[in-house]
Amino acid sequence: MGAQIDFTPALLFAQSANVLVQRLVFNTLTRYDDQLRPQPELASSWEVAPDGLSVRLKLREDVTFHSGRRFTADDVVFAVKNLQNPVRSAQLRSTALTVTDFRRNGDFDLTLVLAHPVSNLFDLFEFMIIADPASVEDAVAGTRLIGTGPFTFTDRKPGSSLSFARNEKYWNPGRPYLDGVEIKVIPQAETLLSSLKTGQTHLSYAVRGKDVATLRSDRRFRITQYDTGSGAFYIGANLAYPEVQDRRVRQAIAWAIDRDRLVEQALGGYATVSAVPWPKSSPAYREQDAAHYRHDPAKARELLKEAGVGQLSLPLAHSAEAGSAAVAQVLQYDLKQVGIDVQLQPVDSPTMQKQLIAQSMPALWTLSHGFAQLHPATLAVSAYPFNEAKNTSRFSSPAYTDVVQRAWNRADSDSPAAKALYQQVTDVLLEEQFIIDLAIAGLVEVAGERARGATLNKFGYLNLDDAYLAG
Amino acid sequence: MTVLSVPFAGALRRPVRNRYVAGLLTWRGVSGLALVGLVALAGLLAPVLSGADPNAQGPEALAGPSGAHPLGTDDLGRDLLSRVLHGIGTDLTIILTAVPAGAVAGAALALLAGTSRAADLVVQRLFDLVLSFPGLILGLAVTAVLGPGRWPVVIVIALAEVPYFGRQLRAGVLVQREREYALAARVGGAGRARVLLRHVLPNAVDPLVVQGAVALSVGVFIEGALSFLGLGVRPPEPTLGSLISGAVAYLDTAPLLAAAPLGVTAALVLGFTLIAESLNRGVRG
Repeated sequence: MGAQIDFTPALLFAQSANVLVQRLVFNTLTRYDDQLRPQPELASSWEVAPDGLSVRLKLREDVTFHSGRRFTADDVVFAVKNLQNPVRSAQLRSTALTVTDFRRNGDFDLTLVLAHPVSNLFDLFEFMIIADPASVEDAVAGTRLIGTGPFTFTDRKPGSSLSFARNEKYWNPGRPYLDGVEIKVIPQAETLLSSLKTGQTHLSYAVRGKDVATLRSDRRFRITQYDTGSGAFYIGANLAYPEVQDRRVRQAIAWAIDRDRLVEQALGGYATVSAVPWPKSSPAYREQDAAHYRHDPAKARELLKEAGVGQLSLPLAHSAEAGSAAVAQVLQYDLKQVGIDVQLQPVDSPTMQKQLIAQSMPALWTLSHGFAQLHPATLAVSAYPFNEAKNTSRFSSPAYTDVVQRAWNRADSDSPAAKALYQQVTDVLLEEQFIIDLAIAGLVEVAGERARGATLNKFGYLNLDDAYLAG
Repeated sequence: MTVLSVPFAGALRRPVRNRYVAGLLTWRGVSGLALVGLVALAGLLAPVLSGADPNAQGPEALAGPSGAHPLGTDDLGRDLLSRVLHGIGTDLTIILTAVPAGAVAGAALALLAGTSRAADLVVQRLFDLVLSFPGLILGLAVTAVLGPGRWPVVIVIALAEVPYFGRQLRAGVLVQREREYALAARVGGAGRARVLLRHVLPNAVDPLVVQGAVALSVGVFIEGALSFLGLGVRPPEPTLGSLISGAVAYLDTAPLLAAAPLGVTAALVLGFTLIAESLNRGVRG
């Protein structure tokens, strides 16, 4: 397998940056199907109390960790507490913190008691990998990963590769088919492409859209676009910088970008233009919101004039890899047309993640965010760029906090009342533009002729339980 | 004695200049000068040869050659001819800044080494240290500290060339300072610095001229390699290396995207190499 970004052990429990590794070694309690309906994984069944204040989980009894120890309810208790620990920087920490008590009904029967109902409880179960408690510190150091997943972690060469061997005692009968998996870290887009073309790599989710476009007619590859909506491209504005504190400046930036051209030229057509973070599958999605900001340089200039801004010069951080550089160049050009001079600052991916968490981004940055494919409240209480309590932009407003909390503090997530609240969240996002959404891109799978059966879940975790090499 | 040494040194220098010209007037020299001259002229006349803004993006991405875009457009709809021509300008500006800077720094250190045994030891180890880093590793180290950009590329090229210029000159200084005319100057009362600068240096520069031409071709290569790795001049400013790097993904579908900057880079490197070779032959007589 070819990946562009190396495994970052310190962020193992933090977010979905290590999606390729997580579901190979670890399992989660549940996993979503395409309709966001939870399906059993380590939890075989569950029952949410009518008042939404507790959930009873029945766990599989035939699961062992790679260390040979049996998986029990205590491991779930540890997993929740692990995400509650601020040291882990878990993006779903707020949801984990709503679990205030654990009632152990047996080794494989556990009730989680919640402080208040939450609409994204199963997002937590989807996100939360179950690791062997004794090995967690080693795991975040990158030396030992012990889970219950289909593959055991065997070797890591930082910046180069990760190796995994088949878990002979995997709970899923007869799985996995593969004897082992090797993830090669190939930061250069061109080298990754060559690796796929020469058959050294069978599978990749890291081929940038414009390169995928060049493979479309090549019969050696099967290209599958996942509607995870997990990669939403955006421009972030750090409100600590006076230049972008006026919301009219941020709105001007939103009007200045030619999203259609960005999708076509920088993303190879593998994305959907959108001014909101939600993919079409989200209950928060509305066509008119996605089209709220169009390419209108005149309107952008007018807003800048209203804000009393003549010529503006701002830094724009972007990931150093080639795909992001192309996105950044399109943004730079479009912003220049309305009088915003942008200096591009390429930054390596781990540093960008650290800056994202530490709220230390420059005035502007561009990245892609996930979480919008899940229940809408998750984005606003968990994702670093949007978290109402602490976000990278340092944006806060009582209105945003209030509507996000109301959307989150409820057991239902699809009712008309819930959707009305999501609309209010969207309205705040469109008005404030501390995150300027540009396009929604799902993950694109490029598989060689022989690779079969790999799937991604809603969170982007790679599932190779049923994968095999044909021929 | 000192009075006599001036015309003597002058008499030595005059044929040297002729040897340069003689070397350049061979088929190698003329071919090299023609190649470099043509490319440099194209770079200088970029605004005349192509009216298009090299950074202006447009809706026509990866378009083939047409009247409006004689070499077609790149993946962001920018005019390829204009980007190649302006890329030549960027590359030449970088190497014509970096190589003389490296030559001056290398020569200064070599002269310093000529003043005492201790200074020689320090300078030699300094050269060893820089030479122990291959050019690209040096580039990675410098850009890790300074970040990518035009000046870091200039610094990398200059730094990479310092030991080569320094060692060439040091070897010349060691030979020339033992010659009779240098001895005569010292006996005549000239100080160490005066002997080095006024008498020894002018007679030891031959290898530096040849090295200069070699360094220019190496400079083109280093710029290309750094830009190819994304560590060179920041986008959207075009350079030959960044144009090649951006074209690799389209080798199958739009080969002209890579062929144009590759052809120009090859011409520049070949031209500088031929000039260096002709000068070398001329100097050796």
